[in-house]
Amino acid sequence: MQVTETLSDGLKRGFTVTVPAGELESKRTARLKEMGQSMSLPGFRPGKVPLSLVTQRYGAAVQGEVLEQAVSDATRTLLEERNLRPALQPRVDLVSGAEVDGKADLEFKVEMEVLPEIAQPDLSDLALTRLKATADAETVDKALKDIASRQRNFVTVEEIRPAAHGDVVVVDFVGKLDGVPFEGGTADDVNVEIGGAGFIPGFAEQIEGLSPGEEKVITVTFPADYSAEALAGKEATFDIKAKGLKRPVDVEIDDELAKKMGFEGLEQVRELITKQVEQEYEQLSRLRIKRELLDALSEKTDFEAPQGMVDAEFGQIWQRVESDRKEGQLDEEDLGKDEETLRADYRKIAERRVKLGLLLAEIGRANAITVSQDEMLQAIRAEAMRYQGQEQAVFDFFRKNPQAAESLRGPIFENKVVDYVIELATVTDKDVTPEELAEIPPADL
Amino acid sequence: MTNVLAIRKKAERMSRETMYDIVRAPLITEKATALSEKNQVVFKVAIDATKPEIKVAVEGLFGVKVLGVNTLVQKGKTKRFKGRPGQRSDVKKAFVQLAEGQSIDLTAKLV
Repeated sequence: MQVTETLSDGLKRGFTVTVPAGELESKRTARLKEMGQSMSLPGFRPGKVPLSLVTQRYGAAVQGEVLEQAVSDATRTLLEERNLRPALQPRVDLVSGAEVDGKADLEFKVEMEVLPEIAQPDLSDLALTRLKATADAETVDKALKDIASRQRNFVTVEEIRPAAHGDVVVVDFVGKLDGVPFEGGTADDVNVEIGGAGFIPGFAEQIEGLSPGEEKVITVTFPADYSAEALAGKEATFDIKAKGLKRPVDVEIDDELAKKMGFEGLEQVRELITKQVEQEYEQLSRLRIKRELLDALSEKTDFEAPQGMVDAEFGQIWQRVESDRKEGQLDEEDLGKDEETLRADYRKIAERRVKLGLLLAEIGRANAITVSQDEMLQAIRAEAMRYQGQEQAVFDFFRKNPQAAESLRGPIFENKVVDYVIELATVTDKDVTPEELAEIPPADL
Repeated sequence: MTNVLAIRKKAERMSRETMYDIVRAPLITEKATALSEKNQVVFKVAIDATKPEIKVAVEGLFGVKVLGVNTLVQKGKTKRFKGRPGQRSDVKKAFVQLAEGQSIDLTAKLV
């Protein structure tokens, strides 16, 4: 194997590799012999087919196979010998030797971009701030009140009085379209909250003032975008019969409520809520510190990003931007920009992402951070939990598609590296209010 | 007593179309491949082809010098299909001895 370097410009490398025909020929013959051993051809006992016949039948196919193998082998040895780490799959162009007869030397060009030399940044002089917020009593109280309002009780009102705003009327109704009852328009003992949402506009309003025992015919128009197409935009009449009246009662926040929710006492509920809120804050805080860390790291990336990787990343981002634009969901700040600036902006983001990705990968590699089998399994399990009832299918999917599982590995690895870096960096804790914590929305980096 | 001379004469006046009719296909088997060491090639030929005809046909089609021809007729087997007896066709094989230094590339296409 002969290698000549043809290009060495920045991160780009180009080589011309020549593999002598003899080497190819011997590989080809070996492969053909191996095939002859297992081939069965009428007129020959298995394994007794002469080489010339095997060549005649499978020569071309084997030649292609051998060429492919030779090229990939040669490329691999080339990378190993020169200690190159390609950023992307190297591009290979055959120059000669692709002919079936296999007499000519195989000559091909390899072009690639190598990963840049990444100097280990000094992580210990990174100064990060970990924002900390504690759940105060007020927040917990608010959460409790939320829960209580959802647990609202209704008490039947005994007296006969017209229904007022906030009341719930129990009605039977028969819906008619042009005097004919339509499907799904008839129901008994329905709770209609006066002033509540969820019914056809005008329905609940017209019931207001109805006393139990009274009957009334009301006319409503279905909204044009009503889910049942046959009814959308139509006018219908409802024969209403009010049967009872209920009044909402606020639920006291006490042990009683806690017991109803399946807890032992109010204290336990408070604890649980505090824990949840704090967990939320912790996640936010982690997002913030991660973002700060990435910002700090990206300042330290003084290497050049491989153009091919940036292009690929940019392509992905741009695709999303395009589809967003088609749906008219472009970010507000992007709306005013013309195509050119937008492209330039996103290209910068892509470059930053690639650089950070490379840097994190390098830090991880240098410090032997790996994702263990257990962690993978855990991630897959977490993923499966998101698809209730189809857990088994998700497991199978990941087992059959190692590539999909690989995509889970990325974030885990990143998180582990980030953890590692945070540990090394100088972290100062700072107490902030929850509002401050949520102030700057973490960008998607 | 067959008139060998007459048959030979007749064979030599053979048209090219008839040659194609006589030589049906090369026989490629382990044995035939082994025979190529002795510079012999084996063909399946028309059942009614004579040795002189085969010689002229092979010489004419492949442009070689034939020293001699041996033939045999392989009788078709009686086979049963859905209980009914059937007869496989008989096949005549011709073992053709080529002159020294000559060869036929059986994989090449005939023009």
